[in-house]
This record gives sequence, C-alpha cells and structure tokens, in this order.
Amino acid sequence: MLRKVLIANRGEIAVRIIQACRELGISTVAVHSDADRDCLHVEMAEESVCIGGPYSNASYLNISSVIAAAEITGADAVHPGYGFLAESAHFAEIVRDCGMTFIGPSPEAIRLMGNKSAARAAVSAAGVPVLPGSKEALQSRKEALELAEGIGYPVILKASAGGGGRGMRLAFDERELRGAFDTARNEAEKAFGDPSVYLEKYLERPRHIEFQILADGHGRVIHLGERECSIQRRHQKLLEEAPSAALSPELRAEMGRAAVAAARAARYVSAGTVEFLLGPDGSFHFMEMNTRIQVEHPVTEMVTGVDLVKEQLRIAAGERMSLPPRRAVPINGHAIEFRINAEDPNTFAPSPGLVERLVLPGGPGVRVDTHLYTGYRIPPYYDSLIAKLIVHGADRAEAIARGRRALEMLRVEGIRTSIRLHLRILEDRDFVDGRLDTHFMDRYLQPGGE
Amino acid sequence: MFKFDEICELIRLVGSSGVAAVEIEHGGSRVRIEGVASAAPVETVRTVPVVPVGQPTPAAAPVSAPRSDELAPEEGPSGAPTEEEGLHHVTSPIVGTFYRAPNPDADPYVRVGDFVEKGQVLCIVEAMKLMNEIESDVSGTIVKVFPENAQPVEFGEPLFAIRPA
Repeated sequence: MLRKVLIANRGEIAVRIIQACRELGISTVAVHSDADRDCLHVEMAEESVCIGGPYSNASYLNISSVIAAAEITGADAVHPGYGFLAESAHFAEIVRDCGMTFIGPSPEAIRLMGNKSAARAAVSAAGVPVLPGSKEALQSRKEALELAEGIGYPVILKASAGGGGRGMRLAFDERELRGAFDTARNEAEKAFGDPSVYLEKYLERPRHIEFQILADGHGRVIHLGERECSIQRRHQKLLEEAPSAALSPELRAEMGRAAVAAARAARYVSAGTVEFLLGPDGSFHFMEMNTRIQVEHPVTEMVTGVDLVKEQLRIAAGERMSLPPRRAVPINGHAIEFRINAEDPNTFAPSPGLVERLVLPGGPGVRVDTHLYTGYRIPPYYDSLIAKLIVHGADRAEAIARGRRALEMLRVEGIRTSIRLHLRILEDRDFVDGRLDTHFMDRYLQPGGE
Repeated sequence: MFKFDEICELIRLVGSSGVAAVEIEHGGSRVRIEGVASAAPVETVRTVPVVPVGQPTPAAAPVSAPRSDELAPEEGPSGAPTEEEGLHHVTSPIVGTFYRAPNPDADPYVRVGDFVEKGQVLCIVEAMKLMNEIESDVSGTIVKVFPENAQPVEFGEPLFAIRPA
C-alpha cells in the first residue's frame, strides 16, 4: 500500500482525500497557498507545506513547488484531486519521473482524453457512438462548411484542447458557421494555446448523463451506473443525481457497456467518468471522458456504497479493486448532490468572506463534504464551491423531501450562498417530474443577471 | 521569469553535457543548475553557527554565541518567528531545501554579524534539483539565520533577520 500521500489540492476535495487516506492508514501531506493557512485540509493532514502565494499559478498550479513539497516531506504518491493539475499529463509524467505514484490514470491516457478530437476518434474506433461530425481536427473553413452541409444544422465547433464547456461556438446556419470558424480558432488559441477545432452536430435539448468508471491495473474495468447532471449553468453543474429518471435498465446496461469500451480504448486505470449526451429519443453519444475523480462522485458513492477515493488509492498501489468480481454493482435508492457555492443565488456573483456561523444538517441519509467551519474566511482566489450537500433516500421522492429539509437546516451565515437557488429548483414542477435537459437553468437566469 | 519547460530543458542540457554547473541570468531572474558531479550538497553537517527556531531540531544542533546586538527569538502564534522592531526578514520565495553554502565544502554565504549589500546572495533554496540563489532585498547586518542548513523550508518562511543599514 501507499505510505504517504501528498494532496495537490485544497478545500473540500483535499479533506475528502485525507478521510480516505486515514481509513487506509496512509499518512497525508497537505500543501497550501499563503492565503490558505487556515483552510481545513491543512489542519486535518498530518503534515503541511506552504508552497506559494495566493494565486493558483504561484501555488496549486506550480509544478516544481508541488514536487519540492513532496520531496521534502518524503511522500511516495501524489493525489491531484480535481481541477488544478488533475488533468495535466505533464504533471502526471513528472510525478512518475520523480519516482512517485500519480494517483490517477497514466499520462498517456490523460493526454489522449484531453485532446477532445483524438478522444472522439479513439472511442469511435472502439464502437462507442459519437455525434455526427469531423473525424479529426478541421483543416479549413471549407471542410467545416461541407461537413455541416452533410450532417445538417445546427452544429457546434469545439476546441480540441478544450472541455468542460469551454471553447465552444454554435452555428445555426451557413452564414453563422462562416463567421464562427475563425472566432472559434482564435478563442481556442488564446484559451488553450492550440487553435484546433472540430465540429459536431448540436443537440438542442439533450440530457447530460455520465457514467462512473473504475479500472484497475489487473485488466478489470467496470461502471458504477450513471449520474444525471443536466442541471447546469454555463456548463457548470449545480445539482447532480443518481439514478437518472430517463434510463431504463436496458439503456443503462447499453450505455454502461459503451462507457467501459471508451475507458478500455484509452487503456484507462483509476476512477474516471465518461460523459454522454442523451437525446429525447434515447439515442446517446460520447461527449468526453474526465480523467479524474469528480466533484459529484459522492452521488455514486451514496447509491453504490463504494468509496471511490479509497478504490483510487488501492488501484494506484497496484492492488485489485475491492469490489466482488463478476457482478454488476447494485444501485440502491436515490441520491442528490447540491453544490453549495459562495455566490449570490440570483446574480451568481461570487461572495467570499467570513463565515460567521455554520450549522450542518445531519440525520438519516445526509452527508456534507466541506472545508468550512465557523470563523473561516473564504478567500477570493479560488473556486466558489464551499460545500456539497448529498442526500440519499429510498426513492427519488424521499431524496427530494430529504434534500429540502437538509437545505433548510443548513446555515451558512455571513456570506451569500446558492442554498435558496436549490430550494427553488426543488419546487420546480419539471424537476419534481424528472423532465430535465441541459437548458433547465435558463429559466432561473435573470435578464441582465449574467 | 524562466518558464518551467525552459528550466527542464536546461537541466537536461547540464545532465547530458557533463559540465559541472551553469548559471544563467535572464529577464531579472537567475537560475543556477549544477550537474551530478558537483551537486549533492545534501546531508552535510555544518559547523557554522546557526540559530535553530521553529521546528524541533536535532539534539546536537549548534547554537550561536549570543551577540550584544542579537535579540532573543520571539515565537508568533503559529510558531513562526515574528518580525521584531527594526529588523527586516528575508523570507523564502519558494518551497524547498535551505542551504547556507554553494556546496558542502564551501564557506557559508553569510554568517551572523556580516554586513550584506542589497542583491547579495544569502543562501540557496533547492527545489527539484534546482539551486535557487536567494538574494538580500536590503543592505544591513545579519542578525539571525532561522533555518538549519539542509532543513526544508516553506514558501514565506523567514530565512534571515537583517538590521537594515
């Protein structure tokens, strides 16, 4: 087993990883920026190292400082969490070259799935359905126009190096596509340092359905069911649930097989997520693979009882995953995660500052993953996610009722949070009936509030 | 500032060329990379006087003779030394390993009581085999050296107390 893990992250996910390490008897090293001395992960880890200034570039994204911290503390493995360096193939490579274990997939798998057009080609070759579009990155505007003519508008241009909803341009007709091509390339160059774009058919009202994957170094690749993540604002997920109301057992099995095939195509090892767009007619298409543990992983943990972070640690140590062989992972009940952000529930403006009072809900079926405590000052430099409230119920109705009472019992005073927004979503008729698509949140966006 | 990739490239160059060390100054920052032959200043016991503070130190840690102009170390709430009246602290700009001398056989860059000019090299902080020379940002007299030689230091950790001239 691993001996000492350095967590190259902060906040709630760093705390989550420390929990898993402790249960497995692994020592932990927290790294933190100058602005994060009082962050909970620093207190919870056995050792901590300040690695740089407040801005991420000077600390959590600074590879040499993270590696130096691992060297001076004698860590034998690095867990990147999500965000920051989690999907940097370069970082994974350096960790490996320095003789340490990167807790995640190989640099090769990260690189393949990080290039969205290459990933599309690789999974398509493995028989996974992809949206009609370009096989690889587009060479010219002419090629884009010809392709769009063939598959029909609307189409979407996406940056090959993008992902997570960034670097995309929509075109409803030829005129728009003519204009969008150069803009998309320029934006991709600016944002990712790579102007390559590819083209796909644009689905107007899809659901975002993703499958949790676990793969170990002994050739076993399994899925742990789906997560419904259609409730998003600007491609940022707000609320996730499992299972999805839209999946029959047959469709679940079919999409699960496709997700496993996608992971196998990348020779994937560790926990990962395969994202699909699901049409109203039940057709599904590969969108991208996220080569990390995800924010919303607790939803799957609640309905499967599997500790995904502990499995990641076991797999990184070269062990087999601990799940019983030759059986599909059973899904029990229903879980919903509410992302609690430090932001105004109407305007979505960030709201950092002092947490004057914090009361966490408890009781049956309630889990809170957070780094908050009363008296903690949320710094302005990082992501606004401050807590994840996850509820589990025997069925969706119970999970919704439990979610409502838990949100009402959660008190975060001194800052503005997204708690009230979640309560509004739970009142929404379409949500209660499970009628979701990725445009669900549009109705909550005030004109001019963006 | 050097880009990380550029530094990696330099390390590869030094490693494959067999030269002992290379030092490059560019855009206001300077890196010094030492090859295998001359590197490894690690785990050497220095006999130069140092004042250990902060982390628990080995029993045999040498302590400097008290000087008339030296103040007793003061512990802040976090255990880190606080800046005393009139003293300037030079803090570590990076996380890494603190070395007082350019190599194990050399004299330390500075000792308590030395007068240093602004821009003078005070010590090395090694991160990922890179020897980063830390310069003084004031002119004045060294009053205190906080870490022990070869001790890990964090970003922002005080290295030297200097009484500005």
